[in-house]
Amino acid sequence: MMPKTKPAYLWAWPLGLALLAALPWILPPYQLRLVTEATIFSLYAVSYNLLLGYAGLLSFGHAMFFGVGAFAAAVVINSMEGVPLFLALAMATALTTLAGLVVGLLLLRVKGTPFALLTLAFNALFYAIAVKWHTVTGGDDGLTVFPSVVNFGLLSLDPGKGPDMYYLTVLVIGLAVAFCCYFTRTAMGQSVLLIRENEERMRFLGYNTNVARLMLFIITGALAGLAGSFYAIFNSFVSLDAISIEMTTKVLLMTFIGGTASFAGPIVGAFFYTYVQDFLSDLTDNWPLIMGTLFILMVLFAPGGLSGLVKSLAARLPGAKDKGSDRDD
Amino acid sequence: MTEQAILQIMDIRKDFSGLEVLTSVNFTVGANERFAVIGPNGAGKTTLFNVISGKFPATSGAVLFKGRDISSQSAYRRARMGMARSFQITNIFQQLSALDNVLAGVRSHQGLRYNLLRRPHHDQRLIELSEAILERIGLQDYRDVPAQELAYGQQRALELGVTLSCDPELILLDEPTAGMSRKETEDAIQMISRVTRDIACVIIEHDMNVVFTLADRISVLHYGVILACGAPDEIRCDQKVKDAYLGEDES
Repeated sequence: MMPKTKPAYLWAWPLGLALLAALPWILPPYQLRLVTEATIFSLYAVSYNLLLGYAGLLSFGHAMFFGVGAFAAAVVINSMEGVPLFLALAMATALTTLAGLVVGLLLLRVKGTPFALLTLAFNALFYAIAVKWHTVTGGDDGLTVFPSVVNFGLLSLDPGKGPDMYYLTVLVIGLAVAFCCYFTRTAMGQSVLLIRENEERMRFLGYNTNVARLMLFIITGALAGLAGSFYAIFNSFVSLDAISIEMTTKVLLMTFIGGTASFAGPIVGAFFYTYVQDFLSDLTDNWPLIMGTLFILMVLFAPGGLSGLVKSLAARLPGAKDKGSDRDD
Repeated sequence: MTEQAILQIMDIRKDFSGLEVLTSVNFTVGANERFAVIGPNGAGKTTLFNVISGKFPATSGAVLFKGRDISSQSAYRRARMGMARSFQITNIFQQLSALDNVLAGVRSHQGLRYNLLRRPHHDQRLIELSEAILERIGLQDYRDVPAQELAYGQQRALELGVTLSCDPELILLDEPTAGMSRKETEDAIQMISRVTRDIACVIIEHDMNVVFTLADRISVLHYGVILACGAPDEIRCDQKVKDAYLGEDES
C-alpha cells in the first residue's frame, strides 16, 4: 500500500494557523470578542456531542459541569491571590472531574428517559446549591473574577485584554477540541460508538459498558468544566446563568442546530448560535422566541442540522453528481 | 473427564417469576469437544445459553468454566475468561465494516478497551489479527463493506467471526445455521468444523443434519430437563428422544 498524499491539506494548515494568529489585527475588538466566546462554546458543544452524538446519551444536565468549572475557576482565582491561571484552570477542571465522578456514579445506573430526567434533576440541584451557597458562589450577585497575567517567558498574556484572551482561548480550547477529535479515533472513543451501536454484543466481547459510559461522562463533564472556566475568565464575571437550565438548553440548541452526526457540527452550531443571538438581541428582547422557532424548524425540516444540510447540498452539486453518474455516460 | 472439562453445568434451574424454564440441567463439556444441545421449541435452549454466558443468573445451580465457579460473574468477565457466544438472531454491528466488527473483539482480547491515547486503526498488529479472522470466515474480500450490506450467509459468517474475535477457548453457538439455505448450511458446517478444531464448542441447533455431522456428543433438552445425553448414534436410537420429537410424550 502506498502512503496517502494529501496535497490539499498541506497548505491549508499553515494558512489556517496564520489566519487564526492574524485575526486580532483583522477584526474589530467587538467581533474578536464574539469569536472568542463562540470558541469557548465550541468546546462546550463538542463535549456535549460526545455524549449525545457519539454515545447516544441525552443529557439535560451539561450546564452543571459548565457551571462548576466556571464557579471553581472564579473561587480559586479570587481566594488564592496571584495563582497562575493555568493552575487555576487545572484545579477547576479537577473539581469538575470529581463532580462528574460523583454524579456519574449516581445516575449512570439508569438509561434512556430516566437518565435524561435525572440529569435535569441534578442540574436543578446544582443550581439550587449555587443559589443558596452565598458565601462561595455569591448567590444572585455572582462573582467578579480578576485572573492574573500568564507568563510564557518572552511572551505574557493578560486575560483582561481582548486579543490576549483570544490567543489564550484559541490555544487551550483549540487543544481541547483537537483532543476531542482525536478521542473519537481512540480505543475509548470507538468503544463508546460501538456500545451505542450494540451494547449487548460489547458486553459479550468483554467490555464493561457501565465503566465505559462512566468514563465518558466524567471526561465530557471535565471538558465542559474547562469551557466554563474560560467563560468565567472571559467575562471577568460568573453568575448563576452559567449553571442554569438555560445554559443546558443553550448547548442542546447549539449541538442540534450544528448537527450531531459530524464532529464539526457542534462547532458550526456554537458559532451560528453566538452570532445569531448577537444579531437578534440587537433587534429585540424577545430573541429567544426567534431562536426557539429556528430550532423547531431545524428539528422538523433539517434533523441533520447545519452540517447535515451542507452535506446534502454538496451531494446535489453538479460536480458531485457527475462523479455519481459516471456509469450512465 | 472432569479434569479436562472446560464447562460443567451443575443442576441448573431457572424460573422467570414462577414459570420454570429449566428444571435441572446437568452436563459436562470436555476441552476440544463439540457438544450439541437439541430440543423442541420452548425447551429452554436459549435460556440455558443465556445462563451459561451470563446474560442473567440461574435461579440455582452452578456453572463451572475451566474448573472455576463463574455463576456470579458478569457476562463481560466470562468473555474475558475465554468464553464467547453467538446469537440466533444476527447480533453484529450493522453500520460498521466487517473489519471493525471483528476488531472490537480483537482489541478487547488485547486489553485495548478504554485507552484514551491509542488508536486501534493505527495498530498494524490489531489490523492483521482482525484480517486473519476475516480470512478464517471467508470474508477477507469484504473487509471494508458495512455489515448491513453483506448477504445473509455472510452476515451469519460475520456473526461467527465476531464470536471468534476475542480468541475464546469455548464458543457457544446459538443456531448458527438459522434461516440458511441448504447450500449455505453446508458451507456453515464446514466452517464451524474448521474453526472449532482446537476450541471447545457448545451448539444449539434445530437442524438435525448439522447436529449429527458436527457434534461429538449430544444432549436432548426437553421442557427444562436433559432427556438423554450421549454420542450421536446413541441419541438417534434413544426411544425417549424419538417419543419427545414425535410428540408422544406419555407424562
